[in-house]
Amino acid sequence: MPKIQISLKINGRSQDLLTSPHRTLLQVLREDLGLTGTKHGCGEGDCGACTVLLDGRPVNSCLVLAAQAQGREVTTIEGLAHGDRLDPLQQAFVEKGAIQCGFCTPGMILSAKALLDGKKSPSEGEIREAVSGNLCRCTGYQKIVEAVQDAARGMNKAGRRKS
Amino acid sequence: MLLPRFDYHAPTSLAEALGILAEYRDRASVLAGGTDLLVDMKKRLAAPSQVVALDQVPGLEDMARTKTEVRIGARTTAAALAHSRVLKKRLGLLSEAAGLLGSPLIRNRATIGGNLAHARPAADLVPPLLALGARVVLAQNNGRRETPLKDFFIGPGQTLIRPEEVLTEVIIPAPEPGTGGAFLKLGVRRALERSTVSAAALITLDSGGKNIKAARMALGAVAPTPIRSRGAEQALIGAAAGEEAFMRAAQAAARDARPRGRRTSPEYSLMMVEVLTRRALGLALLNARQ
Repeated sequence: MPKIQISLKINGRSQDLLTSPHRTLLQVLREDLGLTGTKHGCGEGDCGACTVLLDGRPVNSCLVLAAQAQGREVTTIEGLAHGDRLDPLQQAFVEKGAIQCGFCTPGMILSAKALLDGKKSPSEGEIREAVSGNLCRCTGYQKIVEAVQDAARGMNKAGRRKS
Repeated sequence: MLLPRFDYHAPTSLAEALGILAEYRDRASVLAGGTDLLVDMKKRLAAPSQVVALDQVPGLEDMARTKTEVRIGARTTAAALAHSRVLKKRLGLLSEAAGLLGSPLIRNRATIGGNLAHARPAADLVPPLLALGARVVLAQNNGRRETPLKDFFIGPGQTLIRPEEVLTEVIIPAPEPGTGGAFLKLGVRRALERSTVSAAALITLDSGGKNIKAARMALGAVAPTPIRSRGAEQALIGAAAGEEAFMRAAQAAARDARPRGRRTSPEYSLMMVEVLTRRALGLALLNARQ
């Protein structure tokens, strides 16, 4: 089948892509757009290294055909920082030592971001559940959980200061 | 992991989708959330030459509740089911099962229609739907038909769906007052786990609140398809709700199960069928008395 055209928004920017239908969103992000922050781990939805936000919801991009993203909004890890300013979650991961090899990190941060977008003060159990689709082989998850708690506290403080 | 090549169709109406399936029949697969089909295709367990994506077909994601029934569109995701307020009253066992499916990432894509159509013996959403007495709507070019879910599964990965059909809706009769349900899933891990054994119970108490007027007991992962345990149900109907009846029902459930010993020994599976059946019935009773 010839290539098909897809129009979608990636990290806030409208993009028109031409791709073969059998290619996944993960492949298109990494190989066509050079957005290599999203990782290929298992390719079958079991590890979460390929996590992106699709219309704000975390999904395994290895199991989304690029064609299925037509008309949708995709957020990758690259879309979190504002220029040089890291997102509070990214900052918290750095400060808490939640990053070792870094391979799971983009997926972890996006899953956590989706959680905090919906819930201001998640419990530890809710945080662990939110990242239960993201595997980490290095950290044992403890620092990751603390980083998310930290980021939530920081964001709540900032929110109160603003109001 | 690479997908094999295929021709891709993105119909913008159900009618268009059905037309494509009528033309290509066995050569086409329907794509909803992709968490089953695309995995199978990557593993070369499936290689349809035509993939018909339902993403642009409207009207398949609605959930509605009336006095007599709950209708769930086939493209409703597991995440939507898990968080649904429509399901809270007496249908919580379905939300519970949906919330345990896969992982949060998988739940944002996996659909109820896909879980049924893919028909794995351990499919998480099936036991609760069997316990709730659900039926499915199958649409094709010339119309639609409804089938009770208890008749829907033929074998692992095999259902009554014809190549030219799309499963569009799941219909659940609204449970009467005095009804309570529960779902339990046993596995080694707490996420990304295929059930070793799963159990869904639904009981209805009589007006006195002491005896069981109606009961359904469904088991997953312990037979070539998810099953209802008629033995358990017979042990429950008419009995006083409590430990004694639940024990007898649990023993009957273990007799109805036919585990294939794939992921764990049949002996262990049968022991766990008993445990989960008893526990699910206990929880269903609490739920019924609320």
